[in-house]
Order: sequence, then C-alpha cells, then structure tokens
Amino acid sequence: MTTSPDNGIAIVTGAGGGLGRALAVELMARGMAVAGVGRDAAALAQTAGQGGGRFVALVADVADPAAVEAAFARLDAGGLVPRILINNAAVYDHADFLTAPPAYLDHAMAVNFGGTVTCTRAALQRMVQAGGRGRIVNVATFADLAPLPGSMAYSVSKGAARIFTRALVADIGDRLPDIVVNDWIPGALATRMGIAEGIAPETAARWGAALALWHDRSLQGVTFERDREVIASRSLKRRIKDRLLFKPAPVARRLA
Amino acid sequence: MSVGDRLWDVIVIGAGMGGGIAGRRLAEAGLNVLFIDRGPMGPRAEEQALSTEIADPAARLIRGYWPDPLDAGVAGRQDRFFGALGAGAGGSSVFYAASLERPARHDFEDAPGLPHPTGGWPVGADAFAPWFRQAETLLNLAGTPDPLSPGEDAALRAPPPLSPAGAALEGAFRARGLHPYRMHVGIGYGPDCRECIGHKCPRPCKMDGRSAGVEPALATGRAEWLGGCLVTALHADAGRVRAVEVRRGAEVLRLRARAFVLAAGGLGSPALLLASRSELWPDGVANRSGMAGRNLMFHLNERIAIWPPGRHGPDTGPRKSLALRDFYAVEGQRFGLFQAMGLTASYGNIVQFLNDRFDRSALRRLRVLREFTRIPALIAARMLGEAHVYVGILEDLPYADNRVRVPAAPGAIGFDYRFAPELLARRRLYRRHIRRGLGGLRSLFLTFEPELNIGHPCGTLRFGIDPARSVLDPECRAHGVANLYVADSSFMPTATGVNPSLTIAANALRTADALVRGFARLPEATP
Repeated sequence: MTTSPDNGIAIVTGAGGGLGRALAVELMARGMAVAGVGRDAAALAQTAGQGGGRFVALVADVADPAAVEAAFARLDAGGLVPRILINNAAVYDHADFLTAPPAYLDHAMAVNFGGTVTCTRAALQRMVQAGGRGRIVNVATFADLAPLPGSMAYSVSKGAARIFTRALVADIGDRLPDIVVNDWIPGALATRMGIAEGIAPETAARWGAALALWHDRSLQGVTFERDREVIASRSLKRRIKDRLLFKPAPVARRLA
Repeated sequence: MSVGDRLWDVIVIGAGMGGGIAGRRLAEAGLNVLFIDRGPMGPRAEEQALSTEIADPAARLIRGYWPDPLDAGVAGRQDRFFGALGAGAGGSSVFYAASLERPARHDFEDAPGLPHPTGGWPVGADAFAPWFRQAETLLNLAGTPDPLSPGEDAALRAPPPLSPAGAALEGAFRARGLHPYRMHVGIGYGPDCRECIGHKCPRPCKMDGRSAGVEPALATGRAEWLGGCLVTALHADAGRVRAVEVRRGAEVLRLRARAFVLAAGGLGSPALLLASRSELWPDGVANRSGMAGRNLMFHLNERIAIWPPGRHGPDTGPRKSLALRDFYAVEGQRFGLFQAMGLTASYGNIVQFLNDRFDRSALRRLRVLREFTRIPALIAARMLGEAHVYVGILEDLPYADNRVRVPAAPGAIGFDYRFAPELLARRRLYRRHIRRGLGGLRSLFLTFEPELNIGHPCGTLRFGIDPARSVLDPECRAHGVANLYVADSSFMPTATGVNPSLTIAANALRTADALVRGFARLPEATP
C-alpha cells in the first residue's frame, strides 16, 4: 500500500522551526530531498543542519506570491520536481476584535490561507506538468470549528484553508487522481505556536511524513487527525441506508 | 501576427478523431494548420471519465465534456440529456474504448445476398483499404486477424495474452463453432497499462484524436491550437468558404484560411452548416441538396453478460479481449460486430447500468429511489460473479426524417430520431442469433429497450456522386464549395456494423490527402 513518490523533492513551508522543521528533518531521514520554505535564512540553515539529507533552503514569505514563484523557479532551475507539498507555514495573531485595527485579519489570511493557495498552485502546476503525480498535505486544525477567544484571525484563515482543500479536490480529484490531497490535523503541539504540554513536534512529524509519503488514490480528500483517518460522520438516515445496502461500516486507517 | 489576422492554409473545425488525424496529415504534408475547438487542450495527465453527473457547463468544458445537454426527440418523446460527446483536444475519442475495427465488404458495396442499402459508397472496399491500413499503423493497433475476413491485411501488433477466464471464453466460443479473434484496439499495452476504457489516458498510450492527431500535428511546428472557440457560422460566397466566425470569451473572431476541414462530429458538423444561412445559402452552406443533417444514424447496443466456464481468480488480463463476426450478417440481414466491452459485471458497473436505465425511466425525477438500484446490483453481483460484458452493435439504416435540427442557438445540438419498424424487427432477429450462437453458455441480456449509442452519430453529410442526393463529393469535399472538406463520421452513407472510429480516421487521411493534392489549385483568399 505504501509507495513513496519517486525522484522528486518534498517542499515544506514554515520549515525554519516547530513542526515544519521536524517534518523536514523526518522526511530527510526517510530519504526524501527537502526544500524548506521560510522567511529566516539562519533558521532554515539550522533545519538543514539537523537533517541528514539533501536540503534546499528557499527563503521566501509564503504571503508574497512573487517570492513564492521565485522560490519555485529556483527548484525548476535545479531540475527539481515537486512531488510533495506540505503547507505548514502559519501565524497565530492574537487580538481583541473590539480594539483590533480594521485590517486585523489580513495578515493571517495572507499567510495561512493565501500562502496555502499560492504554494499549492505553484506546486500543482509543476506536478501536472511532470505527469500528474504528487501529494499535497495541508496542516489543519479544529480552530475553525471551535474558535478560541482571541484567535479569530487564526480560526478564520485556517477554516478558509480547509474549504480550499475540499474545493481543490472537487476541481482536480476526478481529473488528476494521482495528485492526492489531504488535510492533516497534527493536534496540539509543544511548539512556539502551541502549548507546553502538547505533542512533541518530532512525534507529530513522523505521522505527517508517513502521510505525505503514502501515495494511494483512495486517500484523496481524506482528513487525518494525528495518526488516524477521520471517518465522516454518517447521519442516521445514511446509516440505515448503508445497513439496507449491506455496506460495511468504514474503518479508520492509521499512519504507520 | 495574431491568430485572427493570419491567413491559414487550413483551419480544422473540431479536433476529435477526424479533425485531429486530418490536421496531423495536413501539417505533416507541409501545410500550416489551425485547430479550433469548443473545448480546451487540458493537461496531458488527466484521467477523468466522461461523466453525466457534472451539470455545470463551465465545469464540463474544463473536463473536455460537451458543455450542453442534447435536445433529442427520440420516438416522439422530447428529452434533454448529456450525450457521450467530448469537447477539446481529441474530442469524444479521448473517452472511447479504442475499438478500431474495419467495416465488412458489404458495408461499402453490394455483396452476394446483401444488397447495399444506398447502392454502395462512392468509394468501394478495395479503394478504401490502403487508408484503413495507414490508419491502423498510425493508431498502433493490437489484435489478431479476423478469421471470417480472409485476405484483409490489417496492420496489427500482437496483443498481450488473455487471462485464464478470457481464454476459457475463447475456447467456449470456438467449441460452439464461433470465430473469436483478438479485437483490434489502439491501446499500447506498455508497463502498467490500464487500457483507459471510458476515460482519458494520461499517457500517449491509448491512441485517439489527441495522441495520434493533435499532438503529433503540433509537434511538426506547423500547427497551432485555439481552444475555447464556439463556432457560430461559416461565411461563404457562391463557391467558397471565406471565414469561420467564432465566439471566444467576449471576442468575436473571423478566422480565415484557404481551406477548411469541418470535423465537428456527426451532430455538430451538420448543425454548423444548417446554422450558416445567408442569401446565397438559404438552407445553410453546402446544403443545396437539402440533405445536410438528414439520414442521422446511430447504432443500437445489445449488451449481454457472459460467464466464462470454470472457476477463475480475479481477472487481470486485457479487458478489451475478443470480438466475433459470426453475427455480423446472417441470412441476408445486416447486424454488426459482437465484442467485449471491456467491463466485467462487477457491482460497480451493474450499479451504473441500472442507474442508466433508471435515468431513462419514468421514475427519473425521483432521485431518492435511484440509490436503491444498488440493491439489485448487489444481488446481481453476488449471483453473477465475474461475468464479461459483451456488446453487439446493430447497424442502423439511413432515413431522411431522422435528422439533426437547425440549431436553436449557436452551438446548440438537437435531433429527431424514430426507430424504423425494420430496425426493431432486425433487433429481435439479432438477439435471437446471439442467444442461439452462445447456446449453453451462461449469459444474460443487459439491454431491454432499444438503446441508441449516442456516441456513434453518423451519416448527416453523406458523400456521393450526385450533388442532388449527397452533401459531399467522393473526396469528401462539399458539392459546390471548392475549399470545404469534411473529416468526421458525417460522411458515412451507412453506419456499418462496427464502431466508427477507424473509418473516421481512415477517411480523414484520405480526405486530407485529397485536400493536399488540390491545395495548389485553391485561389489565395482575399480579406
């Protein structure tokens, strides 16, 4: 069932720290060449130093479409074909909406949503050009379903990104079934953006890397939470109908 | 110079099997060619099947589906449905099952005991044969010779071996005195070949109007592609087409060429001519005969599930496996080819089959019930196991009142069709011959009502010698229009007993060769 995307490169955004760094290191450990996108060259250099494999540092702000395009153009120039994209880069802007400036949401929207869209578009074009094979994993959260006080910017922008994933699958899932797109909810992490008692980013990165390397058409559009497939909840009517039609109840798949 | 200002040698209208192959031949002969098509080029890696579930016209067009439903009056009942029609590079052919069979001799001309319904095509079987052979080479055919067509020199590669189940069925056919052969298919059978039956092939492996036509044409450097063109009219003076009028987004273009190849399909091509009315051409360009759009034919499909004898594991062999011509013509009656559809009767395609039936039934407005087609499907799948689905093609004959309508709006396609009593009578005979021929083999007809193969329209611009009774001359140039050629299934005076793709390709080559020969004599167009 597990096949790894061949001779390509895995792109991880937000690779200068936290989960992004752990994902880059884990993918390198599993033999992938990794292109890390981040704003801070020194932080990317540290990621490179921690990994044991080939690492290309792409200094770019994902909120800046021109910078993203330039970063991908560097991969093109090096003959590197995107096989995996993990949209991980995110910001968590806290504010009180009562007193926040009018454009308060814009920054988070530009990074968390805009960055995902921009990077996906750039990677997708190249994946399609190179034969229509690839993996796109969008790091997601429950923040859109249950926003915490003061987290509006994060919740709204990450929620938009989840809608983007579903719309992307609607647009390309039938046409390009070998470009497999997922949302992955790693859980609360012990990172700068997360909580102290959260999951170690290295642990989560093992799940994320396993998911990104798992190439199976049936994963199209499926959401994973931590290391487990999220089974869409069925309405009572649906359950009765499935029972009538002898359909077996779905079983959640796990990440090795 | 922009596309709109340039004077092209040839503009090809519609880039399916006919237009694609003709355009390739023209470009390879040194002419510069512009392909215009309603649909897009689309990424090479796409794999979508031709779906009727997606209804949004923009979403359909992006996927290479004809965007609008057809307006059909079938047996007097008015209906609107999405047909098996493509749009874009390769047209409908990118979705086809790559069945590429030659018609029989009696499809072209009178044969002993089988007088031809129209007195014969203006080009006979022997005269046509060289182009069939070229088309077979171009389309990279795999298969084995038909034992019932001795002397036919089809160009064929060896196909991959049959699965045990396929071989068992072949043996069972032989044991009944039938003559199975490996069907002729334009499938590459390279490593990881999935045969791509009913969906786009992500590699240039399945040979279709795109992989064998448009792409090699563009590779010559002399052809260009302009997608997203809704062709609204041909502008013609007394004897020549001057320009083709196109809506492209908000733009209206008048594209000019010295010659035009019309290849918008058996429905689309006559519709465009009928829409191109002027004082000089009151019934439409090239329609002095009044025959444009008439004699619309389809095929009838008779689908039947057949169980190979014995017990076999999962079938991993080639799915486009066997064809038989034992029922092609029997006792002076014209029927057609009997061939593997490339499906096993699994749960999924029995569901699809039942849904198709449901959608055409009186219950079709009750969408909730549609889900419950899954129950009989499940029962059938358990009961029937791994059946192979075969289809018998039944030749339809030309009737002037079966016709494509004058388009209600630019690009709209409508037609009226009635089942001739003789067709229904022949259908009963055909089914009887099939049932008898399969005697003793476990089988089940999956077709109950007469079922039109909407993907096989033809005959609507028939070629012939007499300008009063045909639209095209024997070279498929329009009678009375010096620079208008037709390269799709419209030219066929009769539907033949096989899938039309190979005939379309062979004739596209023949027509393109005629165009190249006559090109020097065409005058320079003036703006």
